[in-house]
Amino acid sequence: MLIFTLRRISLFFFTMLLLTILSFSLSFLFPGEQLINLTGQINATPEHLAALAHQYQQQASIVSQYFSYLSHLFQGDMGYSMASQLPITTEIFHRLPATIELTSVALLIAMFFGIPIGFFAAIYHRKVPDNLILAIAMIGYSIPVFWLGMLAILIFSIQLGWLPSAGQISLLFEIEYVTGLQLIDILLSDSEYKWQAFQDATRHLILPVIVVALAPATIFMRLARTAMLEVLDTHYITAAQAKGLTFAQIIYRHAMRNAVIKVIRDVGLQFANLVTIAMITEMIFSWPGIGSWLIESIYQRDYTAIQGGLIVLSTFIFIVHIIIDFVYAALNPLAREPNHGT
Amino acid sequence: MNLIDIRNLSIELKTATKPILAVDHVNLKMREGEVRGLVGESGSGKSLLAQAIIGVLDEKWQVHVDRFHWRGQDLMRLSPEERKAVITKDVAMIFQEPMACLDPTATIGEQLEEAVDVAQLSGFFWQKRQQRKLAAMNLLHKVGIKKHQACVKSFPHQLTDALCQRVMIAMALARRPILLIADEPTAAMESTNQGQIFRLLASLNQLKNMSILLISHDLENVTHWTNTITVMYSGQFVEAGTTEQIFNQPYHPYTRALVDSSPKASSMIPNKSRLMTLPGSIPILQHLPIGCRLGPRCPRAQQKCVHAPKIKSYHDHQVSCHFPLKDSYS
Ligand SMILES: Nc1ncnc2c1ncn2[C@@H]1O[C@H](COP(=O)(O)OP(=O)(O)O)[C@@H](O)[C@H]1O
Ligand code: SF4
Ligand SMILES: [Mg+2]
Repeated sequence: MLIFTLRRISLFFFTMLLLTILSFSLSFLFPGEQLINLTGQINATPEHLAALAHQYQQQASIVSQYFSYLSHLFQGDMGYSMASQLPITTEIFHRLPATIELTSVALLIAMFFGIPIGFFAAIYHRKVPDNLILAIAMIGYSIPVFWLGMLAILIFSIQLGWLPSAGQISLLFEIEYVTGLQLIDILLSDSEYKWQAFQDATRHLILPVIVVALAPATIFMRLARTAMLEVLDTHYITAAQAKGLTFAQIIYRHAMRNAVIKVIRDVGLQFANLVTIAMITEMIFSWPGIGSWLIESIYQRDYTAIQGGLIVLSTFIFIVHIIIDFVYAALNPLAREPNHGT
Repeated sequence: MNLIDIRNLSIELKTATKPILAVDHVNLKMREGEVRGLVGESGSGKSLLAQAIIGVLDEKWQVHVDRFHWRGQDLMRLSPEERKAVITKDVAMIFQEPMACLDPTATIGEQLEEAVDVAQLSGFFWQKRQQRKLAAMNLLHKVGIKKHQACVKSFPHQLTDALCQRVMIAMALARRPILLIADEPTAAMESTNQGQIFRLLASLNQLKNMSILLISHDLENVTHWTNTITVMYSGQFVEAGTTEQIFNQPYHPYTRALVDSSPKASSMIPNKSRLMTLPGSIPILQHLPIGCRLGPRCPRAQQKCVHAPKIKSYHDHQVSCHFPLKDSYS
């Protein structure tokens, strides 16, 4: 487990190194003055610019420039948004939690529905339920998110009027910013309308979560189906049968745990995919997350924001990836227990 | 009374075109308390036969059998579920790769406990749990594992192959079987470990009067431990008899080649010129010869051999060959 942890840490280190180098070089590749791209100070006076150039060690070699960029990053200074002239760090702090909320709920929902359905298909391998589920998974996977989001709004918000179509919570509720995660902040607050607020926030969450979760859920379905089929084909399942366990006992006691472990290993990879879908969905549902902010920044050629947003979003994806790796290791004795030959 | 009596058991592999007869009309008969070897090269269908007996083949395979008696009871009259219940109650099996046959995510203790027969437990469920734990410990003790405390908490990958095989045997003993099918129980093990496992099986046979069907690809390896032997080749029945009959006076050219290729035998039979083996190798399922499947490799093959031979019986020594070697011994 120690080696496992060390390996993740070094992986994290190198990934961060590459990411910051990429982001730093973007400031050269974007059109315009590199220093302005890096700091976002479009309205700065010449004196101010000279001071900035000194701060970022513009006169020195490219390596020291990179390191001064890094030291600014570590101090939480990512420059100013060219569009709003607010510090990028502040913008991100206000927007990242909404994305964390949306993506993590969507990931859990996708796993919660996708994995059991996939298992179900595998148990009825080559029978009607299996074929039906495969077909549905295929359709679900090929629907474009944009179209799905629009359709969901059209039906459930406009025609049926069941669910809100935009935002994170109704403006009537005032929630104090504590963690930034809306649902948790609501639960922490002592407002007398706490439960109404919670309900309202949940209702706002439903449509975007479904839109984000649909495609990953179908992927989990297929991953889970394959994993279960592989597990059912192993010797230990045959041996368990020979032991006289019933089929249900075999599925619950042996097959499910092994198949879940196989699926969890691939969840991390799917998360990056899910975040991409979430970015588009945030646009459609005016969800105040970092994804929609990043897309807007791209439209507005806000280069400083693009650099900062990229770093933060990739770091977030990477951290989730590592967390999932640890969950995998915790579930899988082969990765966790030392191999001593008693 | 016969413990098990199987006549003409065939196993077909279902394919897109026409089914392949992987195991072709094999007979197997065992007495109570007997240790029978089931011998043949790898790919002879020994494992398939064993899995068919215990009923764990998946739906790819189709099993036909003319007669399947278990301790005088005709199992073919029962429904598949009833048959499975009878078999799993009294027959246990241990497999070729012990490590692969244990769930990698469950501890040895958990897997042993669930094998313990419910009928042996009494009282409320918490008492039962305690009894299960105790039963698991006892089982490990029986198969000679001394560090049972550490063992029950281990995961399969933390144990050696030989230890895993002992655990598998312990698990098989949990339901107090009358017949134990051991499919290459010592494959990929060092010879000291092999000896230990065989001795354990032999002692179980003697103390508990447990019958054993000992499967192996190596004739010489098992002769020391068996009373009787059945030989198979490429899914066909070859020869069956007592260990002495098979080893000293094989009637079938294939058995003869097996015996002759083992160094111990060639030193025992002085008039045999050289260590000889059959040319070629066992056919794959997709290219099975017609008639006697040994034909292409058999030194005695003649035209008649394109038809499958009938089984001939000489005082409990059965052989399936048109031209048995019976007359070469006098
Ligand atoms: N799952 C399977 N799918 C296809 N062919 C198989 C499968 N299992 C075994 N066979 C084939 O069936 C034949 C008999 O196999 P097996 O019973 O494992 O032989 P043995 O145990 O005697 O070595 C072999 O030719 C093997 O290739
Ligand atoms: S039947 Fe013919 S081919 Fe087969 S073993 Fe006998 S002699 Fe050889
Ligand atoms: Mg085998």
